[in-house]
Amino acid sequence: MITQEKYRSKVKKLLADGSVKMVIGYSPGSTADRRRPLFIRSFEEADQLVLDSNCIANLSGYLVTEGLLSDEKRVAIFLRPEGIRSLNILAAESQLNVDQIIIFGFDSIGREVNSLPGEHADEFSEFIGSIKENPPEKSREPLLYQLEQMNPQERFAFWKEEFSRCIKCYACRQSCPMCYCRRCVVDSNQPQWVNTSSHTLGNFEWNIVRAFHLAGRCVGCGNCDRSCPVNIPLRLINAKMSEEVLGSFNHFAGMSTTQEPVLASFKKEDSETFIL
Amino acid sequence: MTRILFSDKLDNCVTRWQSAGFTVIGPVTKDAFSSYTAVEHASDFDLGIVLPDRSLKELFFPQTEPMLRYTLKQQSINTEDFTPPSGKKLIFGVRPCDAAGLSIDDPLFGWDYKDEYWFQRRNNSVIVTIACTKADDFCLCTSLKLAPDSTTGSDILLRPLENNNGWHAEELTDRGREALLAIEEFLQEGSEPTAPMAVVPEMFDLDTCVAWLQNPENFESKFWKDISMRCIGCGSCTYLCPTCHCFDIQDEGDTYSGIRRKNWDSCSFALFTMHTSGHNPRSTQSARWRQRIMHKFNYFPGKFSVNSCSGCGRCSRQCPVDMGITETLQKISTLHS
Ligand code: SF4
Ligand code: SF4
Ligand code: SF4
Ligand code: SF4
Repeated sequence: MITQEKYRSKVKKLLADGSVKMVIGYSPGSTADRRRPLFIRSFEEADQLVLDSNCIANLSGYLVTEGLLSDEKRVAIFLRPEGIRSLNILAAESQLNVDQIIIFGFDSIGREVNSLPGEHADEFSEFIGSIKENPPEKSREPLLYQLEQMNPQERFAFWKEEFSRCIKCYACRQSCPMCYCRRCVVDSNQPQWVNTSSHTLGNFEWNIVRAFHLAGRCVGCGNCDRSCPVNIPLRLINAKMSEEVLGSFNHFAGMSTTQEPVLASFKKEDSETFIL
Repeated sequence: MTRILFSDKLDNCVTRWQSAGFTVIGPVTKDAFSSYTAVEHASDFDLGIVLPDRSLKELFFPQTEPMLRYTLKQQSINTEDFTPPSGKKLIFGVRPCDAAGLSIDDPLFGWDYKDEYWFQRRNNSVIVTIACTKADDFCLCTSLKLAPDSTTGSDILLRPLENNNGWHAEELTDRGREALLAIEEFLQEGSEPTAPMAVVPEMFDLDTCVAWLQNPENFESKFWKDISMRCIGCGSCTYLCPTCHCFDIQDEGDTYSGIRRKNWDSCSFALFTMHTSGHNPRSTQSARWRQRIMHKFNYFPGKFSVNSCSGCGRCSRQCPVDMGITETLQKISTLHS
């Protein structure tokens, strides 16, 4: 186990010797359990760093902030395993140069925080492979079993009820590290592909678009689910899509920085004779 | 002598109001999520929560609302208006900050154009507010010169009794008087000790903040970038806010027929100010956060003499990156003008 103090001095060292221009981590939040994203550029900011089991949010989305990496300087970031997987996808989809990123990998069991060995994304590939082979002992959502048992009408009714609350704030999109498009399809109005209204039809359209765009890309970090202000269980949709993609294509999202995007590539042995 | 409404009579009141033609609405919790929802019985209310997750504004300004239907045939264009529903509503168990939110938005919706969707609903509604005996870490009404027992925007204010078995009823408007008249037989004359109000500490000095915001030199302050670096530009602070009122008008359909709708919109979105040319005058998230704060505490009061914030704290309570009005104004109050 590595302490917060040691991390603070590591961060200061990186800043002092010019290895990085910024470290993205966590600071205390407005309540005892809340943690906030923190952008460390100075020693004073480094002293605000906290690392504990309440540091939940996947921060990797900040790496694609417009202009952040364009000066080719390096940035360090605190990431859980899901965060490392999403970083891999960002690299594989050519959204960033992974050599500019230094990873402080960590995980937690109960209240205890463990650091993960490695620094460059490639050093974690074996570790992520082991997660694919031996998924951690966390039981599958009971609600997923219930949803599978429903007939299509019942399932439709379930989601209709859930989506009826959607207010189209797009917090799910904004908090998702995989939703990096500068202009999302729902923001396009020439033509207007997707209704902007948050009525039932518009909400279905949005959430179906989201589900498909994340199939084979979602790493299950839970950012969307936690940020939805009306408590729609978005994680269920993504978890189910991940299982489908793993079952059909043996694809586990975010294995490496060179992994091919599963729904945007074609193999001769694919059962389909066409690409959509 | 004041009048007391005892809790065990509340269901009679609900029934009486319903037979007087009101849809009775109040805080309801379902799957750990609360909103102002129509009820059948008093037992459907959840009066124990600090305040509902969703604000009151959506009963007056829904997230999406049809305005007109258009059809185009050969050379003729037909339009048909959707008028707002004319039914009467009685909203019970409103929190003072939500009630104040409505009165903050009244001048906005009635300024150069009188928004009939808003005012028809306003005129057909009775707001029965319950003063707060409990608050959480995010409540900030007192910092906005309101209080857990503010009467702003309410037709009736109920003050909880110490024994938690009813409320002192105070009528504030004609509409409030009528609603109390309808349930007169269930009210009792009397005077019982009332419960102490929630303690909501003042978190910043509003006047200091406003002075800083009004100083044009601070428009380009580095402060805006620092405070909003982590904002991800989701609009949820604006959508849950009881006073944020921006909307977009959209036509849904095709050239020949469709519906024109009024949909919520948010200054947190990049698209909000995007020009057709691709130029965006608020091109960064910090410019958008600055706009939200300036609008609420500088531009809006400049025009309507009231701040566009009632201190409900929802923006801070649910922000996915733990930002919000409180942190921003707290920091501003420590800066030198
Ligand atoms: S975060 Fe929730 S309410 Fe907002 S757009 Fe996504 S699903 Fe809808
Ligand atoms: S902000 Fe004030 S009025 Fe609103 S719920 Fe909290 S204590 Fe009550
Ligand atoms: S302040 Fe928070 S809730 Fe508001 S847009 Fe930014 S991230 Fe979203
Ligand atoms: S700005 Fe925040 S605290 Fe103020 S009324 Fe809106 S949601 Fe409530």
